[in-house]
Amino acid sequence: MNNHETEIQLIQITKKFGNFTAVQNVNLEIHHGEFFSLLGPSGCGKTTTLRMIAGLEEPTEGQICLAGEDVTYKPAYLRNVNTVFQDYALFPHMTVEENIHFPLKMKKVKYSSARTMIEEALSLVNMTGFGKRYPQQLSGGQRQRIALARSLVNRPRALLLDEPLGALDFKLRIAMQKVLKDIQKNVDITFIYVTHDQTEAITMSDRICVMKDGLIHQIGTPDEIYNSPASTFVASFIGDMNFLEGQVVQKGENSITIDVDGKPILSTRFKGSFSKGDSVVACIRPEKICLDKVCDSEFQNKFENHFQAAIHRIVFRGTDYEITLKFGQSEIRLIESASDFNDKKIGDQLFIGFQKDDVITYLKECKKVCDYETNLDN
Amino acid sequence: MKPTLTTKLNARPRGQSSFFSKIWIGVPITTWLFLLIIIPICIMLVTSFYIKEGSVVVKKISLVNYLEFFINPIYLPIFFRTLLLALLVSLTSILLGYPLAYLVSRKVKRFRNQLYMLVIVPLWVSYLVRIVAWRTILGRVGVLNTILLSLKIIDEPLSIFIYSPFAVYVALIYIALPYVFISIFNSLEKIPKNLLDASADLGANSFNTFLHVILPLSMPGVISGFTLAFVIALGDYIIPQQLGGLNGMMFGNLIVTQFGYAYNWPLGAALGFIMFTVAVVILLVSQKFGSSEGFLE
Repeated sequence: MNNHETEIQLIQITKKFGNFTAVQNVNLEIHHGEFFSLLGPSGCGKTTTLRMIAGLEEPTEGQICLAGEDVTYKPAYLRNVNTVFQDYALFPHMTVEENIHFPLKMKKVKYSSARTMIEEALSLVNMTGFGKRYPQQLSGGQRQRIALARSLVNRPRALLLDEPLGALDFKLRIAMQKVLKDIQKNVDITFIYVTHDQTEAITMSDRICVMKDGLIHQIGTPDEIYNSPASTFVASFIGDMNFLEGQVVQKGENSITIDVDGKPILSTRFKGSFSKGDSVVACIRPEKICLDKVCDSEFQNKFENHFQAAIHRIVFRGTDYEITLKFGQSEIRLIESASDFNDKKIGDQLFIGFQKDDVITYLKECKKVCDYETNLDN
Repeated sequence: MKPTLTTKLNARPRGQSSFFSKIWIGVPITTWLFLLIIIPICIMLVTSFYIKEGSVVVKKISLVNYLEFFINPIYLPIFFRTLLLALLVSLTSILLGYPLAYLVSRKVKRFRNQLYMLVIVPLWVSYLVRIVAWRTILGRVGVLNTILLSLKIIDEPLSIFIYSPFAVYVALIYIALPYVFISIFNSLEKIPKNLLDASADLGANSFNTFLHVILPLSMPGVISGFTLAFVIALGDYIIPQQLGGLNGMMFGNLIVTQFGYAYNWPLGAALGFIMFTVAVVILLVSQKFGSSEGFLE
């Protein structure tokens, strides 16, 4: 599916609205047939980027190429990409059929062949028989499908989706995610998907571009993004993460030792170079941490990092428990399945263990740990 | 039998409004409608069937006045001329008002509100003052003639501008235009921007976007603007009186004459009722159109 033929290329794209820079120096290369997500909190510039690809905004600087052709200043109606808008943007004065016919009419497709294309598009989104209805007579999910059919009927080179599932309820969203993914496989069209929902991006995408404040933080496969986040922002935005602050106390060839509230923590993965005494943040995913009552040799051999801490908080989450332990001023969260939980109580002194390869260290950028969390809100 | 609000709320399950509470809300407006609109219309309708004998109105039911309308050669031509003029006025108002509304709504970014106000501002000036102003523009020694004279386009002042159907036509458009503008402007404003984005995105250039998206979605405004202009033009008798002269006379003037100089109230009522019927039909037809086109809330 992914033959690495470049479909869309953004070169040094900057977009300013007055004094506000919405997108800054963005470079992107999107391959043919790829499911590519632009992920980030609201206001990060992902929608602006999408609109520039669609031709609905003109970049202040830079160049956009579509299948090798420079389209930077080509108007939207001449570009062979179509958008699915967040609120569907179906024409309320046209029936479903007329809505889907619209792009064909603009391309001057003969009505006889347009008819079969409309039927095909309707069956692609499982909406055969709804052609005569008006958009107002459809539910949210149905409108979404029609918007999809309308955008796909012309077989564009790329389909741009601007938070298409944002307005749907949870169950419907999950169902539509599957529909989207299936359709993408069927039609072999490049999908560019804008979302602020990290789960959605991770489960659906071939590659993800994480953005914040108009800047790209990381581009990579869901695996890369999740397991080796390029910055503390990516680490905090994707999935759950423990942030432990400390100082570098020892620097080896392949590893460093960080002192976090008196506990030495070994880390083999770090972004940037450190020297002794640097303030750093060690990141570890909650699910990588083990909890045990005893600290035997097997436990010690398996986990380079192991120490004792007291349970501070327990949150029941249905299938599992989220347990927060405290040592000194630092807190560390981990996930324990309900079957392993065994009536642990607040105040219990237990041993936590995790491998040095699971600890990623970043130079400290934020003042407090909570800043990483507030990063998510802006 | 005088329920207070609280007892009513307590007495009934939520969501079921009582028969009485519905009635109470409607009472003031219904009274108003009855006293000032429905009863006068009924009186007019009844009067239109009376006969004037000599100088007294005889309360005898007869169709004489309506026959007069069809037989007397004075009424039908002026009636149709009035309809035609009202039609022309409303069509021209739409043709002028639409581009203006489109411009202010879609194309202008700076001074948008100021422009809007400029179009609306004539509505603040008294109707009569505005008509007198047109007299000074179109009159023999008026602004228009003076300009044309000083530009040496004409040698002596022309008297064709004023006291003609043309003068009535121009002044009626002037009166109707702000109303047409407002209703088209509002319907253009209601069109969500993302529909225009979607249209461009799906391959429509700006002309096709206008033709297939903007125009159909602004039709409710066009229709209500047309209706307003038509009804305003149909019933006006001040403008023909002030600017129309003999040839510019309209049906409204005939009605006024029957109530005034001719002192034939039954005939005036009959003529009035005929025009009233035309206006009602126009309103009903346009409402039918307008509501089926009203997709945007």
